[in-house]
Amino acid sequence: MNPIRIGLIWRRIDGIVDLVAETFLRAAFSVVVRDNYDMAFSLFDSRGQQITQSKRSIPSFIGTLPRTLAVVLDKIPRDQLNPGDTIITNDSWIGTGHLNDISMVHPIFMGDRIVAFAASTAHTVDIGGAPSPMALDRFEEGLCIPICKIVERGVENSVVIDFLRENLRQPDETLGDIRAQFAAYNDCTEKLMGLLADEGLEDLDAIADEIVMRSEASMRSAIAALPDGVYEDGFDTDGFEEPLHIQCAVTIKGDELIVDFAGTSPEVPWAVNVVLNYTQAYARYAVKCVLDPEAPNNAGSLRPIDVRAPEGCLLNARPPAPVWGRHLSGHYVPPAVLGALAPLIPDRIVAESGSPLWNVYFSGKRPGRDDSFVKMFFMNGGHGARSIGDGPGCLSFPSNVSNEPIEVFENQVPMLVTEKALVPDTGGAGKFRGGSAQRIGFRSLADSAISMAIKHERIRFPPRGLLGGMAGSPGRDLVNGEQIQPKSRTMLAPGDEIVFQTPGGGGLHPPGERSQDMIQADLESGLVTREKAIEAYGDVD
Amino acid sequence: MSIETSGPAWRIGVDIGGTFTDVVLWRDGASTLRREKLLTTPEDPSLAVIEGVQRALDNEGVAPADLASVIHGTTLVANALIERRGVKTGLITTSGFRDVLEIGREWRYDLFDLNIEMPTPLVPRALRQEAGGRLTADGSELTPLDEDEVAAAAEALSVAEVQSVAVSLLHSYRNPAHERRVGEIVARVMPDAKISLSSDVSPELGEYERTSTTVANAYVLPIFATYVDRLVRALAGMGYRRDLLLVLSDGRCIRADVAMRYPIRLVQSGPAAGAEAARLFGELAGESEMLCFDMGGTTAKACLIHDGEPERTAHFEVARETRFAEGSGLPLQIPAIDMIEIGAGGGSIASIDARGLVQVGPKSAGADPGPACYGRGNDRPTVTDCDLILGYLDAGSFLAGKMALDVAAAEAAIRVHLAEPLGISLVEAAWGVHETVTANMAQAASIHAIERGLDATRFAMMPIGGAGPVHACDMATKMNIDRLICPIGAGVASAIGMLAAPVSFEVARAAPVRLAELDVAAAKTMLSEMSVETVGLISGAGVAEADISFRASAMMRYVGQGYEIEVPVEKDGLSEGSLADAFAVAYGARYGRTEAMASEILSWRVVGTGPRLPLADAIGGTATKTSGTPPPNSQRPVYFESGFVDTPVHARRDLLPGHTIAGPAIIEEDESTLVVPPDFDVSVDEALNLIALRKRAT
Repeated sequence: MNPIRIGLIWRRIDGIVDLVAETFLRAAFSVVVRDNYDMAFSLFDSRGQQITQSKRSIPSFIGTLPRTLAVVLDKIPRDQLNPGDTIITNDSWIGTGHLNDISMVHPIFMGDRIVAFAASTAHTVDIGGAPSPMALDRFEEGLCIPICKIVERGVENSVVIDFLRENLRQPDETLGDIRAQFAAYNDCTEKLMGLLADEGLEDLDAIADEIVMRSEASMRSAIAALPDGVYEDGFDTDGFEEPLHIQCAVTIKGDELIVDFAGTSPEVPWAVNVVLNYTQAYARYAVKCVLDPEAPNNAGSLRPIDVRAPEGCLLNARPPAPVWGRHLSGHYVPPAVLGALAPLIPDRIVAESGSPLWNVYFSGKRPGRDDSFVKMFFMNGGHGARSIGDGPGCLSFPSNVSNEPIEVFENQVPMLVTEKALVPDTGGAGKFRGGSAQRIGFRSLADSAISMAIKHERIRFPPRGLLGGMAGSPGRDLVNGEQIQPKSRTMLAPGDEIVFQTPGGGGLHPPGERSQDMIQADLESGLVTREKAIEAYGDVD
Repeated sequence: MSIETSGPAWRIGVDIGGTFTDVVLWRDGASTLRREKLLTTPEDPSLAVIEGVQRALDNEGVAPADLASVIHGTTLVANALIERRGVKTGLITTSGFRDVLEIGREWRYDLFDLNIEMPTPLVPRALRQEAGGRLTADGSELTPLDEDEVAAAAEALSVAEVQSVAVSLLHSYRNPAHERRVGEIVARVMPDAKISLSSDVSPELGEYERTSTTVANAYVLPIFATYVDRLVRALAGMGYRRDLLLVLSDGRCIRADVAMRYPIRLVQSGPAAGAEAARLFGELAGESEMLCFDMGGTTAKACLIHDGEPERTAHFEVARETRFAEGSGLPLQIPAIDMIEIGAGGGSIASIDARGLVQVGPKSAGADPGPACYGRGNDRPTVTDCDLILGYLDAGSFLAGKMALDVAAAEAAIRVHLAEPLGISLVEAAWGVHETVTANMAQAASIHAIERGLDATRFAMMPIGGAGPVHACDMATKMNIDRLICPIGAGVASAIGMLAAPVSFEVARAAPVRLAELDVAAAKTMLSEMSVETVGLISGAGVAEADISFRASAMMRYVGQGYEIEVPVEKDGLSEGSLADAFAVAYGARYGRTEAMASEILSWRVVGTGPRLPLADAIGGTATKTSGTPPPNSQRPVYFESGFVDTPVHARRDLLPGHTIAGPAIIEEDESTLVVPPDFDVSVDEALNLIALRKRAT
């Protein structure tokens, strides 16, 4: 096929997936989907080979969906699929690693033949149960939906719907999001049929093969350009009573790359364990970002990268380990991979960001209303310094979760946001400075107690600088001015004041290499105080 | 008819581009338009406007007092934002929230590129001030405004010599009281400063996007106000007695005094009028699916016309850090025609990049000095210089011979900067530039369509702008488009579009309520009041009240959703049932399903619109139908892919409906030239459009 035509068809497929994701986002019932964009939409060919994903996707979800689809097709083979079917599951070991992410797969038929699969994942704030960092096993963490058809030949399965309705605290919101995805699948089917008809194609397989082959070749040549060898990194994370250890070895062998987490702490009886599917997704994502960011991401990009973690370790936990807060360990996977590769690619590297992602759950009752609410609020830390310049203040990495407008939040919850501000002296010093942290304050306006659950990392170990850059600042959690446990549940009384400060990003290259112009700009903006500037950089004009 | 029957009946449309200022003059009901094209005067753009208006009036022997309207569009706002040439601007926010403008939405617009650039705020941190006082989500006051802090903030901005102040407080879209009070205090402390309130500029939920829009408004307001003021006075000085009208980013137009408060709504003023013109031309040609390709002196833009209407968007971005990357620019909450920049213009400078390849733009020689062939001191080669060398343009007949082009200067520029360093011939270099710029535009325009899920190859291309018709056939070939419609006056299409843009204003009111609890009588009263309000803003612009049509709608969603859809409302028959039915129809059309859930209304909108002028008569042509190929005026060598071909040159004014011309051919109009390659055939339709068909498609 003519490469120009391939390129045009591929771009059109890509455009269709973005539009379809937009249909989902606009019809969504939850803030976590439509404002935080905690979702992904991806398209696969008839053989289950990933072709592309929506631009506004969570990186881990686009990496876990291929395996979700494969497991779904093992359980419900193609000959048992009919036009109008949609399959659902949120099994942590099949999906993204915790029950709050519900994944669905929708076969797209042309006549009686499957020509593609649309698949999506979306976060739901509540999935029933009593999830907490201290959960002992996965059964405490909520409702597990086994692989099953939620829609059969276009008709909703009322048993599945009833199970969901009976087990969730906010069923209208979750079911509303699920149905918004049904609208997206219809939209996707219609647009894809239009494309196949326009192009005179029977299915997407030939195009998929062409694109996947090119992405694979691109990734292989990027790996082959690096010297063979084994490169390592290891560090501790906050953990619970004791720190946990992440150990990572990256082996470059010709045009293949192996990431191995042997030496990582064993799984723990707290909800910070990670399933292998999630670990693999984030390790491959990190490699893709630094070695081959421009080629289209699809099945081909993943093939040359093998990711291993010993069974039973923190990054390859076995059922029934609790996994609710899996990102508290899983978001350390990209920094471990980047840390190992840093000396090889100093011109492409990024220092550590203020992640794992920070969030807070509030639940309680609104004044004058009987129904309860469960609400989640996301806060990103400072981004690590980049090889091209300072890290942006508060940019999501490795996840890609947007913040929610304060005006939206206050519409839904009896809480007042008292502050959302960049914090001076929080980005790690360096030739390029880490991104500033943010401070967010809340005050309870409720007339009854509000339960607040947090699970925050980087209190003990702040984001590291790289190649001579300094560490960013650690995070802080305060209630009425007192430091609280970073992984805890607190009952808030009316009027209580809460302040969170996310971690600052790490710096890159030694502070002595920072230009006077950049130091002056920091002083002018107030993001670095004179006192700290002198401390970090010595001479300040 | 719409227009005041007793009044004068001449109208003018004026479009200022980076290179040329276009003027069209029309008498109501007339069958022709007078067109003028003159170089833009960047140091004071109103000079060219006044000169062009005067010239057009003189040529028709019309007195300025006989003008019913002057409608104007300008790229001033967009350019000031892109080039960051606005004034020193301050921002006052609710205490604790001055960094919202810098923090943004915290997401990465490219999933894999870790080095993305985030947009730098238009107001630096040191000029972002805060003041106490707080509203809650329903708009009620939790803490009174701290007026001392507001005054102190204004003092600080005054000391810093800030000229324009944006005010954006939390929840002000529900209750503007605090913002209005801040505005009063700032006006007292800083009497010379311009003030933009977010509740006024963009009264919508979402503090980051609202603040961004308001700040951008403040940033350009003083420049814009000075410019419009100068223009209004100059027009009055000529003897023009009516309101100046300005075109908004969505292709509608409003009175200058209203526009002056919201310059941000004019960010895409000129190009939107081009899309409006394309819509009109398409209507005449019976074509409802078109790719409008507008190439001027500085940039090229593309816009899709689908079902006979330009595609619209409510999420606009300006000054993107990464070309074409959504999310990398400053978000603006304004209604706009969905249009993207796809590349360079005729004045864009060609150079050799680091890889040794020809690169075109982004630098432009603009109007002054302009391309090398203008002979005004630029010695770098531009796209126009190359088009001249290739024979597409003629040194003697450019702008109807009013502006002689210097072939030797064009040759020298291409030789010195391209041909010699690359070791290729003059013509090879010129062809390389032409191919590069055309291929880039073809690719970007295809992506624009594709990203909207549409297949560009099924669209007809409509080239407008001075350089559009020169590059159109080549670009269509590269995009696999088989059909082009080249309207008369393509080179001044935006100015024609200004005449076609209806005077219109939209009034919106937030009134959140569940459908089941709607007070129908109160809603009807509110809709009536809103209609009256639009009349107030439209009348005085040469539109009689009786000629204003109204369109009412409700913004609705299911309870729990975050995005509304627009539901058309028939005011007289309004009832809970009719609204429920209309919502189900609109929702089903957008999402392919409906839900068994309660719905709610967030806000109401009423759009009052004056009539569209019957321009079809003016540009539809009245010539009788003929057939055959008219004799060419002349022949000249023109370069096509295989080399120079002796090519017939026709004057557009000689072509009548029914005429056919086989490629290769050159068809010259005063303001633009259609280049017809050997594999295209052209015919003239009844509206005098040139229809170019690729031969393999016939």
